[in-house]
This record gives sequence, structure tokens and C-alpha cells, in this order.
Amino acid sequence: MIVPLDHCDHCGTCISVCPVDALMLTENSLIVDHELCTECLLCVNICPVAALESKK
Amino acid sequence: MKTTWDIIIIGGGPGGLFAALEAAKAGKSVLLCERKREMGIPVRCGEAVGKEDFANYLPMEPRWIGSEINTFIIVPPNGKEIKLKKDLYSGYVINRDLFEYDIAARAAEAGVQIKMKANVQELIHSDDGSVSGVRVMESGKMHEYYAKIVIAADGVESRISRQMGIQTVLKPENIEPCVQVTASGIHLPEKALYLYIGTCYAPGGYAWVFPKANNCANIGLGINGKYSSNTNCAKDYMDRFLDRFFPDASIQRYVTGGVPVTTNLKRLTQDNFMIVGDAGHMVNPLNGGGITHAIYSGIIAGKAAAASCDDPQKMKICFSKYEKEIYRKFGKNHEHQSKIKEVVYQMNDDDYNRIGGEFLKLDDSKRNFLNLFKQVVKHKPEFLINVVRAFSGI
Ligand SMILES: Cc1cc2nc3c(=O)[nH]c(=O)nc-3n(C[C@H](O)[C@H](O)[C@H](O)COP(=O)(O)OP(=O)(O)OC[C@H]3O[C@@H](n4cnc5c(N)ncnc54)[C@H](O)[C@@H]3O)c2cc1C
Ligand code: SF4
Ligand code: SF4
Repeated sequence: MIVPLDHCDHCGTCISVCPVDALMLTENSLIVDHELCTECLLCVNICPVAALESKK
Repeated sequence: MKTTWDIIIIGGGPGGLFAALEAAKAGKSVLLCERKREMGIPVRCGEAVGKEDFANYLPMEPRWIGSEINTFIIVPPNGKEIKLKKDLYSGYVINRDLFEYDIAARAAEAGVQIKMKANVQELIHSDDGSVSGVRVMESGKMHEYYAKIVIAADGVESRISRQMGIQTVLKPENIEPCVQVTASGIHLPEKALYLYIGTCYAPGGYAWVFPKANNCANIGLGINGKYSSNTNCAKDYMDRFLDRFFPDASIQRYVTGGVPVTTNLKRLTQDNFMIVGDAGHMVNPLNGGGITHAIYSGIIAGKAAAASCDDPQKMKICFSKYEKEIYRKFGKNHEHQSKIKEVVYQMNDDDYNRIGGEFLKLDDSKRNFLNLFKQVVKHKPEFLINVVRAFSGI
């Protein structure tokens, strides 16, 4: 399960690489659609500040 | 409550603001929705613009100028600064927060209705697949707004366009994850744009120091996405960079961001929907500059939308002209830049050091781009072949 961490800066870089459009920014947070997410980890690795975690 | 406009614009960066301003100046009713709470903030940007380039679009206002710069300094991995001849470059580091704030005010003055904290969640489609409006979350309430044309200016995330079937997902190698700080107490020997090039600083990208007023500077770094990982991300490179060059930096602004470094999207319109700026990947893939590209595409898109929102036949023609104009202005050039970028980033740190060393042997007056290019070719003849290939398309 992909989980945004507290230090996420809401820059949207992760959204630009998500192949299935499972990420969305709201006013103050980044939300992950776990139904759509394939856990490809592209977002986890692209984040400039490592603010996404892949949890078992 | 008003729910219908001629044109709705998603995103209030330079792309969206100029599209809104132009469309309103042409007499159309315009709504601009921006997710953030304050126009222009946060500034996810190095804020460097070329003087002439900027002047093509609008006159510079004194309060937008953070600093004026006429010198370029390249720093290879060994740290030996290569100063290019003065006056090869002339530009500004702007105050983008003030700039966007003022353009928003001009847009409002021209009649644009701006909503902040207005997050566009999705497009509303008509039966024929075209777009009829947007669903917007505002302070916990969902609203529906309708328009004849919707313009996506939603920046690098470019999520909205996907709902029109336009493929905007970037491969990791086509994006640069970046971290930037604005720091004070930065006493530079020279007011210049400093570019640090080498894999030790930023593989597949570069680090920058762009001075502003009062010994402040934007210090940032972007790496190519293919070198980015959860355990060695842009921030890790940035921490090492600051440790090496500015260990005592006092930081007053910290931002992250992503820069698309690829060729422009060819498809920038679909039915009654248009894309401007970063959302259409209109950034120069070699240097990552995109402010003026967003401004220009915003101006042209705003004009095209205003001229055609009441006439579907005319819309087709105007939209096709828009796509052609953007390709003419940036698209072709960015295809070349993209290829040159690949060659530049194939070099290793020894190559950069050696080229820098040779260049430094030249007389001051000869330190221009042409001679730098000659040194690169001397050390890496394949560079020339690749540049020729890039420009001739073989
Ligand atoms: C670290 C960094 C340094 C840079 N340095 C430079 C530089 O020195 N010089 C230069 O020329 N360029 C630079 N760039 C690139 C430049 O910042 C961009 O090209 C430029 O901002 C693009 O403008 P835009 O209007 O297309 O998008 P943006 O400025 O990104 O604006 C998009 C706006 O849309 C809003 N938005 C997104 N989705 C929604 C939604 N669903 N609903 C409502 N609002 C939404 C966002 O909040 C944002 O305000 C840099 C970029 C980065 C990340
Ligand atoms: S890339 Fe990182 S910092 Fe930016 S929105 Fe995604 S998780 Fe947050
Ligand atoms: S892991 Fe892959 S599919 Fe899931 S949100 Fe991240 S990029 Fe999208």
C-alpha cells in the first residue's frame, strides 16, 4: 500500500508519472486510490523528498 | 450563484493567468480555478528569465525584478569555476510571487473571476465526449461550473488532460525531480547565474545558484528521474550540495517540484478543450526553463479560445492553428534540445573537468559559447556528430 508521509510538499511530481492516475492532490493532502494503484513504485522513487512509502 | 462562463481555466500559474487575461481582454467571461490558497505561492521555481525573451511578451515591472544578471558561471565537478564572457547572457531572477499576484490583479481588472482554494477534481463531459464543465471542490463542498471551452493549465501534474484521453504521463527519464531553497547570507563573488554540472552534483541534471537581492539566492537542484530513488532522491543530492558549498546557509523558503524535460505534447487540444504550459510539457528540456513558454502558450490559447468559443467550426480552425503555432515556436526546437541533452548527460565527471580545464586556458575575451562548444568537440568528437544529427534529424 502506498502511503504519503507527513513531509509531502504537495508538488504533484508523483502524479505526473503515475501510469494509472491513482494519485490526486486536494487542498492540503495527496490521496492514493488504492483500488487503481498497481504498486509499481514509480511515484515512490520519483518523489524529490522521498515522501511516499510502500507499506506491506 | 453564477455557474456558467464562456471559458474556464484550471490552474493559476503563468500559463493559466495569461490565458485568462487574454480571453477576458477579448470580452469573454472567464472563470479561473486555483487549488492553492494564495496566488504565486509557493514559488516552485528558480525564477530565471532571459531579458529579451520576457520582453517579447510584456514589459518588466521594477517590483518583479529580484536581480539583473549578465554573467554565466559553469562549475564542473572539480569546483573550478568557468566564467563565460560578460554580456553573453542577460536576464533577471524575478520575484515570481509578486509577478503572479500582479498578473492575477490585471486579469481580475479585465473581468476574470478568480476562485482560490478551488480544486478541480474532474471534467464534466457531454454525451459526445466533449467537455461541458468542471467539478470543483471548494472548502468541502462540490460545485459544478459550465463553459464552452475548458483550458487545462494545471502544471507538471497534468492530470486533467488525461480525462480527455490525452496521454500526459511522463516516464521517469522525462522528468527532473527538484528541490530548491531560498537562502540568505549568500555572499557570492559575482552576481552571476551559477550552474553546477556533473554527476557528483546532480546526475542527468544540474544544480543552480541564482542570486536575488540582499544576498539571497535560489539554490536548487534537479536530477534526472531515472537516477531518482526512495533512498537517493533529489533531496539527498541537495543536502550533499549544500554541505559542500553552503554549509551555513540560512534558509527561508524550501520547495520541491518536478520539471518535464521532454518534447512538447503534439496534441494540445481535443474538441473544446485546450492545454497550456507545463501541462503540455512546454519546458526547454535542456535548461528546464518554462515560465515564458507558459506565458506565450497562455496568450495564444486565450486568444484562440476567445475568438472561437461561440462558433464550433471556427474553433476547429483556431485550435489547429494553436497547435501549429506552439510547435513552430517551441516544439521543433525542443526536439533538438532534447537530443543535445542526451549527449551532454552521457559525459562523465572527468570529461566535464577536462573540458573545463582547457576552456580556462583561453583568454578571458574568448570565453564564449562557441569556444566552449569547440572544447567539447575536441574532447568528445561524437558530440559534434550528435549535434549535427540532432539538428538534421538523421
Ligand atoms: C524547482 C524548479 C525550478 C524552476 N526554475 C525555472 C527557472 O528558473 N526559469 C524558468 O523559466 N522556469 C523554471 N521552472 C519551470 C517553471 O516553473 C514552469 O515551467 C512554469 O511554472 C509553468 O507554468 P504553468 O502555468 O504551466 O504551471 P504552474 O506554474 O505549475 O501552475 C499550475 C497551477 O495549477 C494549479 N493546479 C493544478 N491542478 C489543479 C486543479 N486540479 N485544480 C485547480 N488548480 C490546479 C497548481 O496549484 C498551480 O498553481 C522551474 C521549475 C521547478 C520545479
Ligand atoms: S512528489 Fe513527493 S512531495 Fe511531491 S506531491 Fe508527491 S509525495 Fe508529495
Ligand atoms: S505505485 Fe504506481 S500505480 Fe500506485 S500510485 Fe504510485 S505510480 Fe501510481
